[in-house]
This record gives sequence, C-alpha cells and structure tokens, in this order.
Amino acid sequence: MELKGAQVLFYYALAFFVLIMAVSLIRARSAVHAALYLMGTLIGTAGLFLLLHAEFVAGAQILIYVGGVVVLFIFVIMLVNVREEITETTRLFTRQEAVAWVLVGAMTVATIIALRREANLLPPAVAPPEGTALALSEDTQRVGSALYTRAALPFEIASLLLLVAIVGSVILARTRRQEETFD
Amino acid sequence: MELFWTIWNHPIVSEYVVRRLPTIVIVLFVILTVAAYLVYAERKVSAFIQARLGPMRVGPYGLLQPLADALKLLSKEDIIPARAERSIFVIAPMISVVASLVVLAVIPFGPGRATITDVNIGVLFILAVSSVGVLGIILGGWASNSKYPLLGALRSSAQMVSYEVAIALALVGPLMFAKTLSMVGLIEAQMTDGVWYVLYQPVAFLIFLVGGLAETNRAPFDLPEAESEIVAGYHTEYSGFRWALYFVAEYTNIVISAAIAATVFLGGWHFPGLTRLAEPGTGLYALLAVLIFAVKVFAIVYCFIWFRWTFPRYRYDQLMSLGWKWLIPAALANILVTGAVLVLAQHLGLVETVRTEAGERLVSLWPWGKLFLIAASLLIGVPIVWILLAVINRRSADFNLRVQRQIRLPERGEEEIFAEV
Repeated sequence: MELKGAQVLFYYALAFFVLIMAVSLIRARSAVHAALYLMGTLIGTAGLFLLLHAEFVAGAQILIYVGGVVVLFIFVIMLVNVREEITETTRLFTRQEAVAWVLVGAMTVATIIALRREANLLPPAVAPPEGTALALSEDTQRVGSALYTRAALPFEIASLLLLVAIVGSVILARTRRQEETFD
Repeated sequence: MELFWTIWNHPIVSEYVVRRLPTIVIVLFVILTVAAYLVYAERKVSAFIQARLGPMRVGPYGLLQPLADALKLLSKEDIIPARAERSIFVIAPMISVVASLVVLAVIPFGPGRATITDVNIGVLFILAVSSVGVLGIILGGWASNSKYPLLGALRSSAQMVSYEVAIALALVGPLMFAKTLSMVGLIEAQMTDGVWYVLYQPVAFLIFLVGGLAETNRAPFDLPEAESEIVAGYHTEYSGFRWALYFVAEYTNIVISAAIAATVFLGGWHFPGLTRLAEPGTGLYALLAVLIFAVKVFAIVYCFIWFRWTFPRYRYDQLMSLGWKWLIPAALANILVTGAVLVLAQHLGLVETVRTEAGERLVSLWPWGKLFLIAASLLIGVPIVWILLAVINRRSADFNLRVQRQIRLPERGEEEIFAEV
C-alpha cells in the first residue's frame, strides 16, 4: 500500500518506536522492564495495524496481548522473583557479536536487493477506497464472517488446543489431596 | 509562527485536533470535576445512609470539600520509598490514569460535536484500553518493593482480569442486536428500534453491572483494599499527587463503566419524545441529549454508591467463584440464547435486517417483533441461565442455600485433610 501525506509520518514514527522498544526489550536487565518494553512494542504494532485499516486486529491485539499476555508475564515475573538476577553483573550477550553483526548486515543487504529487484513479486496492495480513511470501514464485519466461514476450522482447532492446554495446566496444578478433599 | 499556522490549517490537524479541541477540553474538565465530586457524593450518600451529615465544614454543605482535598493532595510531600524501583514507581500511576482518560474519547456524551470521536471498534477500543489499566495497578504494587502492595496488586489484578472476561461476553448480547461496535451506532440502533436493549438483554445488563462493580474495585468487591490484611493494597506506598492519580483513575473508571452501561443498555442520550421537544441538530436538542445522558449515568453511579453501603463484601474465593462459575457461564448462555432467539425471530419474520447507509440494522418491523424479543428474553433467557447456573453450582457451598443448610462439621479423618490443605 502506498502511504500518503501524514500516513508516512505516522508510519515512520510508529516503526521507529516499535524498533527502539524491541531493541530495548532484549537489552533490558530487569525482567519487569523487559515486560514494559514488550508492552510498548505491542502497542506500536497495534498502531501499525490501524494504519493498515485493520481496526479490529489492532483492538484485539491490545486487548489480548497488552491486557492479557503482558499482565500474565508480569504475574509470573513477580511470583518467581527474578529480582536478584538484576544486581548480578552477568553478560547479556555471548561473545559471538561479530558473527551476529555480519549475519544482520548480510540479511539487510539481501532484503534491500530482494525488495528492489522483485518488488512485483509482492502481492498487489489493495488500497482502501477513498473516504474510508475518515468514515467507518467494515473490517470488523469481514473478520467476523471470515471466522465463521473460511477460517472456521483453523479457528476451532486453535481454540480446542487452548482448551486442552487449560485443562492440562489445571490438572498439573491440582494435588491429589486437593482432589480428595474437594470431591 | 508561519509554520505553526501551516500545521494548524493542515486538513488532518484541523480535522482531528482543532475541531475536537473544544470538546476534548470540556470533557476533560467536566469528567475530572465529576471524579472529584464523586468522592464528595460518596461521602454524603454514605453519611445519609448511616444517619450522619457527612462533610459540612468547607463551603455550604461542604460543597468545596473536593477543592480542599485536591489542594491538600497537591501540596503534600512526594514520597518515593528508598528501595522502590523508581522509574516504574513513577510510571505506574500514569499508566492507570492515561488508560482511563483515553477511553473518554469514544464515549458518546451527546449528538454531533458533543462526542469527541466515533470509531467503528468503539466497544472493543474501550475494553482494550481499559484492560491496560490493570498494568498500572500491578506495576505500582510491584515497584513499591513492599509485601502488602505486592499482595494487593496480585489480588486486584487477578480480580480485574477475571471480570473483564465476563464484561466483554455480556456486551456481545446487545451487539448482536445493534450489529455494530461503534458507540454512536449502538445509540442509533436503539433509536431506530425504539426499545432500549436492557429490555432485550436483562441478563447481560445484570452481568455488566456486577462485573462493572468488580472491575472498578468497588464494594462489595473492594478486595484490593483490606485494612486488616493488606492495608491499602497496591497503593499503600503512594502518597500525595501520585496517590491522587490512582484515585482519579478509579473514579473516572466508575463514570466510564456507568457511561458504557447507559450507552449500550439504556439508549445513551436517546429518550422517547426528545425529538418532539427540540428539533434535531439544534443547540437545545444537543443540550437536552447531554442532560439525559448525564442523568442516566448518574443514576447508575448512584446505584454503585448505594450498593457499597448495602451489601456485605465477598471473601476472596467467593469473589473468584462468582466471576468464573456464575457470571462467565451466564454470559455465555446469554449469547447462545440470544442467537437462537434472533434466528427464530428471523424465521418467523418478526425481525428483519435492513441495510442503511450507516451499516446493517436489525429492525423489528411491527410491535409483535419487539414484544416477542422482550418476552423471549424474560421467559426463555432468564430461566435457561438460571437452570444452567444451578447445575454448574449445585455443589458450591457459598451461594447455594440448600447445600449450606446441609453442611456438617468434618469428622475426625477429614479434619486432618482440611488442616493440611
């Protein structure tokens, strides 16, 4: 999709925000700080979804990832108390930094070359019709009907998988004595 | 200076900033004042319920009390505990406040420019942004580096995360009638249908009210604060302005909860006969609409305060079982029943989906359609939810009176097991 006017501004602001947050996330020494940077990354990504006119995905992203997953992360961090590791002067990275830089550089060059040469390999962008930028788009309806028609099977499989995970964790967390007492 | 005017006149800036600026300023000012006066209202209502007078010293009938409180909080010493995690301790109350104030952007206070903005994911936006508020609480409790705030934060965030699910599921019912997530669209749908969704969705309304009470940490669900166990909960170590931020967030959340309930279930600023009093589009119409909305919101807020001084509070395990074993199954059953009733009504030709320029609208074409939907919600929805809850909770001892009467003291062998658990 071709960006126009203020969209460019928003895109670069959000993209750099997400990148800075992501780099800070892996460099953070404290686990809680890392969780906060993760929150920043996810909110920035939700902003990018908004630029793509995927309002429902953006809302669901914040609701599930920021309001659910990050909160659970922080729960776990608090309960296992990782505070002591902060004060230790452990190395954050292994000694293979040079190799990593070479790989990153190679991948960047490869991506740029690929984008320049094979730009037409990317799927054609579908620009939203004029006017929808300000008016209400029907993204939510489309996601909803897709979930009940084309994507119904994968959606159900994913939810079944989650259900199994939930039941499994409950079984693992319960002790035998609890079972006997509360049955 | 010239650059400033170029930016000011840019179409996007003028559309999204300049045109909305007056509304934003007014809404912020009004809501923050209302939040301050809610504390006063709460003290007054509680005083009247307990046959006292409440605040009477500052101004006539103590009306200037919130102002005095605000001044006191602003001039208090700003204490950050020595071993606290400084940066997070500072950020946490800000997260809470921002999360609750951002929601105000999509609350429809009135027609036209009285609403800051209307987005097509309105309800989802509100749920998403207010779920971020939990982070403020949990981080504040953790950053204090003290055991009571940490325990309080764990408790209140567990409570808020559980009741969020019930609230979101309860809102699905009305959305099935409105066929839109936009807050303005929800009001318009109720206007075209002529029936407030509280009549179609009494179960969902009840679930939303109970969930809203728990979500805003209010009595009888005010478990985050327990003087005898965890002192003041997550904000034990906070004082002065930072503590005031948490308080602003809390009382703004109450207003927001009431505003969502008024919009989704009570028709927002719509009232039968409003168009006869004033011509739509005029200033008088907008003013009346905003007043109607305010009356509805304050009626619900008053109920919130009333509940606080009427019901005894829940024990923590009772709170959790109420959330997971009562509200969530009830909300799920409500969705299923609503779907079935709607399909049935469509087959009988009682309701029809009409395409308007604002989107698809569900319209019951004649009074029988409305009557059928109302009767179905009361005669089919309520009994089915009731039976389901009875089946799920037949062995629960806390709310089931019949089981409670049969409770006997554990015998010798069982006693040991209880002691170890």
